[in-house]
Amino acid sequence: MGMGKITARKNFPLFFSPALILILFLVVYPIFQTLYLSFLSSSGEFVGLSNYSEILSRKDILNLEGFPKWPPLGALIHNAIWILIHLPLSMFSGLALAIILRDVKGSSIIKSIIFLGMVTPLIVGGIILQYTFTERFGIITAFFDTLGFEELSRTWTAYPNTALFALIFGSVWLWTGFSMIIYSAGLATIPKEYYEAAKIDGAGPFKTFRRITFPLLRPLNIVVITMTVLYDLKIFDIVFMATGGGPGKASTVLAFEMWLQAFRYSNFNGAAVIATLLTLLTSVVTIPLIRYMVRR
Amino acid sequence: MTTKMETVIAVLVIIAIITSASSLWYGFTVVGDVSKLTDSVADLAGSVADLATAVAEFKNTTEADLADIVDRVTAVEASLTPTITVVGPWSGAEMDAFLPVLERFEALSGINTKYRVLRAEDLITLLPAQFAAGTAPGDVIFMWGWYIKENGPAGHILNVTDVVDEADSLVGVYDQVKVDDTIYGGAYTGKVKPGFWYRKSFFTANGLTPPATNATWAEFLTFLGDVAAASGTGIPIVSGTGDVGWPLSDITEHFLITFGGPQLQRDLIAGTVDWNSTQVRSILEDRLVPLLQGNFSDPLPWDSTAITSWWAGDYGLFFMGSWITGMVDDPDDLGVIPLPNSTGLVFAADYFFIPTYTEHLEEAKELFKFLTSAEAQRLQVQVGGHIATNVDVDLVWYPDVDQMVANVTVGKETLLDLDDTIGGEFQSTFFDQLSLLWVEPDKLDDVLAALDAVAP
Repeated sequence: MGMGKITARKNFPLFFSPALILILFLVVYPIFQTLYLSFLSSSGEFVGLSNYSEILSRKDILNLEGFPKWPPLGALIHNAIWILIHLPLSMFSGLALAIILRDVKGSSIIKSIIFLGMVTPLIVGGIILQYTFTERFGIITAFFDTLGFEELSRTWTAYPNTALFALIFGSVWLWTGFSMIIYSAGLATIPKEYYEAAKIDGAGPFKTFRRITFPLLRPLNIVVITMTVLYDLKIFDIVFMATGGGPGKASTVLAFEMWLQAFRYSNFNGAAVIATLLTLLTSVVTIPLIRYMVRR
Repeated sequence: MTTKMETVIAVLVIIAIITSASSLWYGFTVVGDVSKLTDSVADLAGSVADLATAVAEFKNTTEADLADIVDRVTAVEASLTPTITVVGPWSGAEMDAFLPVLERFEALSGINTKYRVLRAEDLITLLPAQFAAGTAPGDVIFMWGWYIKENGPAGHILNVTDVVDEADSLVGVYDQVKVDDTIYGGAYTGKVKPGFWYRKSFFTANGLTPPATNATWAEFLTFLGDVAAASGTGIPIVSGTGDVGWPLSDITEHFLITFGGPQLQRDLIAGTVDWNSTQVRSILEDRLVPLLQGNFSDPLPWDSTAITSWWAGDYGLFFMGSWITGMVDDPDDLGVIPLPNSTGLVFAADYFFIPTYTEHLEEAKELFKFLTSAEAQRLQVQVGGHIATNVDVDLVWYPDVDQMVANVTVGKETLLDLDDTIGGEFQSTFFDQLSLLWVEPDKLDDVLAALDAVAP
């Protein structure tokens, strides 16, 4: 063991403390403060779980009356739907684009264009999305109009049965650039010899993908899944801009309801309840994934 | 140049004489000692000598030096003058129309102002945290009346009862910012929501005539049919909406006031009539809902797609507040049609307040007084789209199109905006549920139940 290592170990608390202090003040303290607020009434009295009971009984949060006919089903279910549709779509479209563009000349320009959605502020993305799905003005509605689908040529964000899908499909466009870039980076690390060997052995493109590409990209799946689920759980901006959670709460999500509780209804304790639920949900998703990554 | 220099020399001479005379007076009266008088005389001689030197130096001063001195003095003066921040919702052309009001205030008061654009929808997110931290984004802030009313008694907003003279304003305009007898906000200009706007040129080109003010419902429906035939889309009315949804609420309120009378609006605000009541239900069921099936477009962004489509003739009518007169290329081409037999209309004032956390309290109060004054409101109304709340602003100050709006209001009761007055959860639910009703009118029962659950 060299002197440098001994000094580094001795100074470990010194180097570690600035980050720790920042995390304590900017992450840990707000989490516990929010948790604490969620058990208080607006006048500051301890009310146990009554805020939770009140929030979870709101149809804005969970509306199973409408099930299976929907929407609205409440923000909690809408977030789940969002994950179920958005996660596979953006993940596989990103992977497909990364593979297709791997050997294409000038692919970096195409990738940059696709990545534009990722660097577009979500508020701006929400405005673009609203126009994209507006009757007579949007590219998507015009496309379906050409195909003769009358229902889908209407303004998607105005109708309860299409508003949530407009937001989800729009966010696929905004987010696909992320998974594409991650997978592109992963593909660059796979030695070309593997593909040459597979070719010599007579493996076709699908088999090559199944036996070489996909297994070697597996660690990156964790990153893409984790980040996408977090994105889906905290989604707010495009909902706020494009639909305002409507019509009739058909496209509301948890983060939007949290904003409504805090800033429109002046119910900060109710907002703290939703924030706590969001924290729990993200922890449920991310902790096992992070543990898995660390183990590997 | 010579005249300027002579003037400056004269001023310096006067200052020297006054200084010396003061020294003499001091010597005689305070000390009373002859020796002091001698000293004073010596001082006077010194001062005169200094003055002679200064005059000699001044003769060599160039125009550039003078300009430099003036600039430095101006900069020092500006640094000593406080700047107050005004937060308002207007941007673009609307901001350009508001800034001359602030410039006039600056000229009159010597107080600098800085204008910052923040809509009420943005402020509502920003203000709670700012208030909790004991600060505010401005010294005078435009905001919804209900928000001012809610936060005034909480101590975040200044009690301005002594600053406001209600006698100068429209009757009842301060009710929205008043708790008991305490006033927390000021009323600037406002807007009315008079009815459906149309382009005169479009009507002329298509041989359309607005219905009589006392037309029957059947006649009004026939009129809508004629407008539909002339409209590019075959739909007579374009529905505007925004990221908050208020334009639909304005239309709904117009129907409720027309068919339920002004008292219904007041009762709904007070919560003495239910949304599920027969009265409300029948108005919506018999009048609004049938029109939603084919006579209104899907909701479109009001300030872009909706207004441009209507102006281009895709639709013949557009329900909007009077601020539209400041948003179109040719305001003189505008006409407005209220629902027949309407006896009331909504007047929505732009309210503002002084946060208790302002560092420029007296200056903010000065601006507060100015904004409620006839002078400020005259400047604002003459550019169009605004109606004064100060009763001393005569009709002559308004552009022609706003005089037409004023004529529409004659004989009608002005009422508070329903959702702006109630605010809170009701307001956002109202917007959201109406956006549902607009595309799925058969869900009226669900909509009324949802509104009833959050109404006062």
